[in-house]
Amino acid sequence: MNNKDQPVRNRREFIQKLVGGAAAASVASTAAVIAGTEATPDENKPRQKHYGMLIDTRRCIGCHTCSVSCKSEFDVPLGVTRSWVEYTEKGTYPNVSRQFLPRLCNHCRHPQCVDVCPTGATYKRPQDGIVVVDSGQCIGCKYCIQACPYDARFLNPVTGFAEKCDFCIHRVSKGLEPSCVNSCIGGARIFGDLSDPTSEISRQLATNPTTVLRPGKGTEPQVYYIGADHSDEHENQRGWYDVRITTHRKEKGRR
Amino acid sequence: MHELTWGLPVIAYFFLAGMGAGAVVVSGSVLLRKGGFGASRFAVARCGALIGPFPVMLGTFLIVFELGQPFRALNLFHLINLSPMSIGSWFLNVFIILSVLYAMTFMPSSAGPGDRLAPLRRALAWICVPLGIGVAIYTGIMLGAMPARPFWNSPILAALFTLSALSSGVASIILAGVFFRRKSSDPAIRADYENSSYLLISSDALLLAAELMVVFLFLLFGHLTIGDVRYAMEAIQPGGPLAYLFWGLVVIVGLLIPFFVELFQIVPKLIYDRQFKSHVAVEVIVPVAILIGGFMLRYTIVAAGQITAPASL
Repeated sequence: MNNKDQPVRNRREFIQKLVGGAAAASVASTAAVIAGTEATPDENKPRQKHYGMLIDTRRCIGCHTCSVSCKSEFDVPLGVTRSWVEYTEKGTYPNVSRQFLPRLCNHCRHPQCVDVCPTGATYKRPQDGIVVVDSGQCIGCKYCIQACPYDARFLNPVTGFAEKCDFCIHRVSKGLEPSCVNSCIGGARIFGDLSDPTSEISRQLATNPTTVLRPGKGTEPQVYYIGADHSDEHENQRGWYDVRITTHRKEKGRR
Repeated sequence: MHELTWGLPVIAYFFLAGMGAGAVVVSGSVLLRKGGFGASRFAVARCGALIGPFPVMLGTFLIVFELGQPFRALNLFHLINLSPMSIGSWFLNVFIILSVLYAMTFMPSSAGPGDRLAPLRRALAWICVPLGIGVAIYTGIMLGAMPARPFWNSPILAALFTLSALSSGVASIILAGVFFRRKSSDPAIRADYENSSYLLISSDALLLAAELMVVFLFLLFGHLTIGDVRYAMEAIQPGGPLAYLFWGLVVIVGLLIPFFVELFQIVPKLIYDRQFKSHVAVEVIVPVAILIGGFMLRYTIVAAGQITAPASL
């Protein structure tokens, strides 16, 4: 599935591309100088995209449709999840609230999973910024699972490879929305190209207060939230109010 | 509490690879150095060289089969990138081959200082020492590389693992010496044995002192900081789930007791220049305690890193 558009691994191919690219660039600039016009960007070349997601938690009703549609889209085995919804219950009666937090891979700008992968099996696609796992290269060492600050990765118990959300690249590459976005009954998820200032997600990001998860880890997530409750059970140590997180995963606690 | 993503096979590998690499590094250093060990130099180097490769190979066997698909591990050698695991697996691969060759130069019954194989043995020792340090240090770098695991995310972890590996290596050489070198009636060989025993025990005491220092700094900075690291450190601080294992088996059994026993043994010769006298009990109990401590150090640290997480979402 992910075989196309891999980064150049072969050195010779890389050098050929490098030399070819440099030659093409110099020819183009020379031609532009001769013609006396400025070089225009090649219309045929696909524009570099950077996909991202914005989740408006005010519209989320915690129905798990995204989790279920993700499971059915990918045949994700029992006990593991690519996409899931966490419930955050806070307070003491009568001052209580329950918030929903849909979770998935953040497709970070600086993905640590990519840095630590010893085989290059996981990489950030240069053309659209999606972080993918090439199961042909993955050895199942679980280093990426350790390195992910969001616990977004798991070892597929059937295949033994690391797996996670890939923004449904098989759908996205055909112009469709990811399955969780398509099925969300509250319309809470907006998917699109962050590098296009006219896209819906860019306009919403520009006009709303948004947050990302664990910004202190320096990963720069590309999944943004509106109205996300960042409360965590650690806050119970203060004893001021109760926080209870239900992850709806095999791992009961949030990592 | 999460189940451990990296469980006992990986923890055992960290310990076994560290111990084996440490033994080969110590063996190579003893062989290459002039003086000190005198006539027993070759015997000490031989002990380390012959035991070193086995734990490393056993540990490698454990992690390769832990993958579930052993032949998949070959994918590691399609390329080399900046992942500590990638560099480490190359180090490990070359180290296993060369340390086995190094061990084989000690195997012929005619093997001795200045024999036909001596130049090869010295050349292999020169390569195996840095490679062995690479194998010992990369596991600590690998764990320390991840901000997602605040307990591990410290540069000092690599130093801790390396010192523990070297000290386990020395311990395994001392232990092997008791079984293979101690029983001899020849007074000259006995004197050599006493001399090498003194040197091994004193260098082990030095390594343990350095390791205690690093553990102290690790704990101190965990205590002085705030935020993720402070919260993660609670796992091994009094009251935490791993506190008894860490303080009891790592700090007291694995570090403090061996260090003070060794100190009491070497001080008469070190300071008052009296006759050094080796004791079988010390040469068995101290290395065993160090090895238990070395394993429990890997266990508590690898487990603590996985049961803790950044403190806020």
